[in-house]
Amino acid sequence: MALSALVALALAVVPLPPAVDAFRPDFLVLVVFYWSIESPRAGGLGLAFAAGLALDVIRGVVLGQHALALTLMAAWATHLRLRLRVFSLLSQSLTIFALLTGYQFVLFWVDGATGNPVTTFSRWLAPVTGALIWPLLAGGLSRLHDR
Amino acid sequence: MVAFRNTDASGRTSGLLLRCVLYCLLALGLIIFDKRYDHLGQIRRFLSVVAYPVQVAVASPFEGWDWFRQSVSSRETLRADKAKLEAELRLANFRLQRYEALEAETQRLRALRANTAVVAARFVVGDIMDLDIDAFRERVLVDKGARDGVFVGQAVLDAGGVFGQVARVEQLTSEVILVSDASHAIPVQVNRNGLRTIAVGTGDMSRLKLPYLSTSADVVAGDLLVTSGLGGGFPAGYPVGTVAEVKRDPAQSLADVEVRPAAALDRSREVMFVWPKPDAPPQPDALAAAQGPAHAPSTAPPGAAAAAPQTAAVPPPHHGAPKK
Repeated sequence: MALSALVALALAVVPLPPAVDAFRPDFLVLVVFYWSIESPRAGGLGLAFAAGLALDVIRGVVLGQHALALTLMAAWATHLRLRLRVFSLLSQSLTIFALLTGYQFVLFWVDGATGNPVTTFSRWLAPVTGALIWPLLAGGLSRLHDR
Repeated sequence: MVAFRNTDASGRTSGLLLRCVLYCLLALGLIIFDKRYDHLGQIRRFLSVVAYPVQVAVASPFEGWDWFRQSVSSRETLRADKAKLEAELRLANFRLQRYEALEAETQRLRALRANTAVVAARFVVGDIMDLDIDAFRERVLVDKGARDGVFVGQAVLDAGGVFGQVARVEQLTSEVILVSDASHAIPVQVNRNGLRTIAVGTGDMSRLKLPYLSTSADVVAGDLLVTSGLGGGFPAGYPVGTVAEVKRDPAQSLADVEVRPAAALDRSREVMFVWPKPDAPPQPDALAAAQGPAHAPSTAPPGAAAAAPQTAAVPPPHHGAPKK
């Protein structure tokens, strides 16, 4: 669990060409969602909060921003977990899209409240790619977890 | 199909709501404290030291690849590089000879006017770490931090000109905000005629703009912009960019001026941190009183007089430096 979170954290800052950069899915967020659904007691809100704090430090934004967004959305994912587990892949992806959008919205809101809004449209692209990559990521993680 | 194992399907996550509220309150508290009171510097510094290995681990494969490519580059390439560098060095030395004479002359003239010249005293070269900090803000992480005496607001240059300034200092790294960031502004001066204005970033690394010039302002494409030193943040006289295009719409009161930054914002691998000169020995007032007025009108535009107190107010060299 910790290892997957670390890898996701690394993926979140790996340099990409600027053209692709806006499409980068929030890997760490997806991993946190996975663990919130799979085993909320081992890796629930605590993991979400810690991962959010790590993102805050690495991205150099106001401390607590990603932590807040990630905790809220992980709690929502945990709440929905029993339903999510029996959903079809498409429904899962759609739900994850809603969660990711909520995450971006909280970030957007904190950005605005602390006085440095990023108003480009491209920040709403990450939830789309995130939802698209979710089946792959969740499938891979559950494979690894089964071992 | 993603198979979630129903390990704890029955086990209720007790008090999910309560824990969620607690964590959210904690996060909100952090945001408010960090934003309002700035008390979290120590915590942030500690956390950043913990995060440093991750950053290094991510950046190192790319650096390793660069190193590998360099170490296997062929003899001819190295020779060609050497010849090119030698030619450049010759040219630079040639220019330097004139520069030294000019600097001495400038110092002399400034001494007459009792101005302290804000010339950089110390440089430290830092490597830009190969990381994407934030897709939507023009910032880079550099591998020099509080340990090396870097402070917030410090000017950062590259080989071409002004690169940006330090936005945040950690123990081992610092975050530099580029001049092209949409929230960055830098006081500049047109080198040709001394016209002062402010260059603002656009969020695009290849462009700055000058939004505060009237349509009648004397600025043309090709003008060199240098730092004016006003405000004390940047040392005066370093190139910021060249004017690329001036659009004058008679219906508007302000001109639309586009600037190409002088620094290679998207290509530089190394940047220089600049420390302002500790204290240029203040010139005796008597000298200024005796000779200043006579020279003042001819040596500088009237605005420069107003610049003097502000440029003198540059922070001391190790302002806000190592707090260990």
